[in-house]
Amino acid sequence: MEFVKRLQESIEKHSDYNVLCINSTFYTYKEFAKEISKIRTTIVNTIEDSEKLIGLVTNDDLQTYASIVALWLEGKAYVPVNPEVPFERNAKVFELTETKYVIDSSERSIYIDCKVIASKELLNTEINLVPKEFSGDQLAYILFTSGTTGLPKGVPITFDNVQALVGAIDAEPTFNLEPYDRCLQMFELTFDFSVVTYLFPLLSGSCMYTIPKKAIKYFYIFKLIKEQKLTVLTMVPSIINYLRPYFSEINAPDLRYCSFGGGALHSEIAKEWSDCLPNCKIFNYYGPTEFTVYSGFYPYQKETDTKSHNGIIAIGAPQKDTLYLIVNEKNEEVGIGQTGELCLGGPQITPGYWKNEERNIQSFFTREENDKTVRYYKTGDLCLKDEEGDFLYVSRADFQVKIRGYRVELAEIEFHAKSKSDKKVNMVALDITNNLGNAELGLAIESEPFDTKEIFDYFKTKMPDYMIPGHVRFIKEFPHSINGKVNRKKLKEYFDIN
Amino acid sequence: MNKEEILSKVTEAFVSVLEHKNFQLTDETTAADVDGWESITHMMIISEVEQRFKIKFKLMDLMNMSNIGDLISIIESEL
Repeated sequence: MEFVKRLQESIEKHSDYNVLCINSTFYTYKEFAKEISKIRTTIVNTIEDSEKLIGLVTNDDLQTYASIVALWLEGKAYVPVNPEVPFERNAKVFELTETKYVIDSSERSIYIDCKVIASKELLNTEINLVPKEFSGDQLAYILFTSGTTGLPKGVPITFDNVQALVGAIDAEPTFNLEPYDRCLQMFELTFDFSVVTYLFPLLSGSCMYTIPKKAIKYFYIFKLIKEQKLTVLTMVPSIINYLRPYFSEINAPDLRYCSFGGGALHSEIAKEWSDCLPNCKIFNYYGPTEFTVYSGFYPYQKETDTKSHNGIIAIGAPQKDTLYLIVNEKNEEVGIGQTGELCLGGPQITPGYWKNEERNIQSFFTREENDKTVRYYKTGDLCLKDEEGDFLYVSRADFQVKIRGYRVELAEIEFHAKSKSDKKVNMVALDITNNLGNAELGLAIESEPFDTKEIFDYFKTKMPDYMIPGHVRFIKEFPHSINGKVNRKKLKEYFDIN
Repeated sequence: MNKEEILSKVTEAFVSVLEHKNFQLTDETTAADVDGWESITHMMIISEVEQRFKIKFKLMDLMNMSNIGDLISIIESEL
């Protein structure tokens, strides 16, 4: 696998450079190579060859990153679980993937039903980063996203998928990382955006700066920009929404690249942010987990390239080997300027949701194009294409919302709320925009007020923090639209959170 | 405004953002001690405190703040 081979070469070549800065401590590529080799040796000695999916507890440390590389050198996939997410949800992920082994750098692992490799307690071995031969259709990772039925949905990504992503980014001449680059890595490793924020720095010998789990993210990022003089930022747009009141104090001339993804980037704030970064290229990336992180981007430039629709910056054009197609409800292509669902085809497409045939039938379809069968993924994003071939985001086609870049199915929250409450009342989860322009979650309950502690305690055992509504309102009777559906727009008006 | 008055006003800001009262703020209180106080709500709390005290924090001050004691001394310096 070419990109794994390149990882080996980069790690060997840059041994004196720093690979990671975690909580103000720097680690070199040499130290990284040692950790990778220790973990790899243990994998080879304890895990049978047939076992391909290996659990990984995503702590913020050198061992966790080393584990990903170690698994890839052996042609195995990582199944990451965030230690801050309820145990029950993580155990479900391991159950769904039949994961038997877990690599865990925690002092004490709680995954006692699996065989645990305690990655902080391994003996030194010789450095060996030569990748094993394996087939590209093997899985490189599986990530889980919110599902409408209360069960998280697994998205498997193959080595071939990742190779196609690397090839597409390599083909882009305006983006080139160098060993002197200092890159922000603010993402939880269970979030697919993290793949680009660790993989590209590693391939170039650059250094990544992580955010300690207890830090106030926004201020810590500013601290890193200011004190460590970061040169590359990859972020979700909500970060700058929160920093916006302080833009006048930010001037970061060292920044070379700033990439956004995982949510709508608004024109006004993009312009103001761009003013803080005088020497920086800004990219607005688009892409779902199902298509291996990125599928394309729009190169934003505050004076010349500011294309937008309803104030949301364009998502631009597909990257190398990727096809964009906008379709109507019958999966037929619509014309230029017409809104439809954006579908993605090409080598970065996932083989399909993990053991979920029903969902796969809904989300994927094939189409004959120039005597070839092309498989497409339906993103659920409504978009349109303009005459210059740029794509513009319009809205969502369903009830999926983005909270700090994470995909959240409102139906999953409603599912858990209703399954716990003994009161047979209607509950609706809503996304509400706060005065900084970010989405927060609200829960509307059609009832006289009652104590919701039990429901919320239950939420905490079932869902990660970002999925738990921060606001509750009791409404005696829900407003309905003419066709009898709950009027969500009207309901949102009860949430006066600003 | 004395320190106690500041603390009580800060507490009101917390209650309004977090929508609960299950906490007692002291100088040593950090985000780990209060249910719901994390990166996002922190930003909302800061903006709420700014409005209630009619002050504007500097990013440099906020960047190094680690507990309620720090917050109160920054407020004192701005009043």
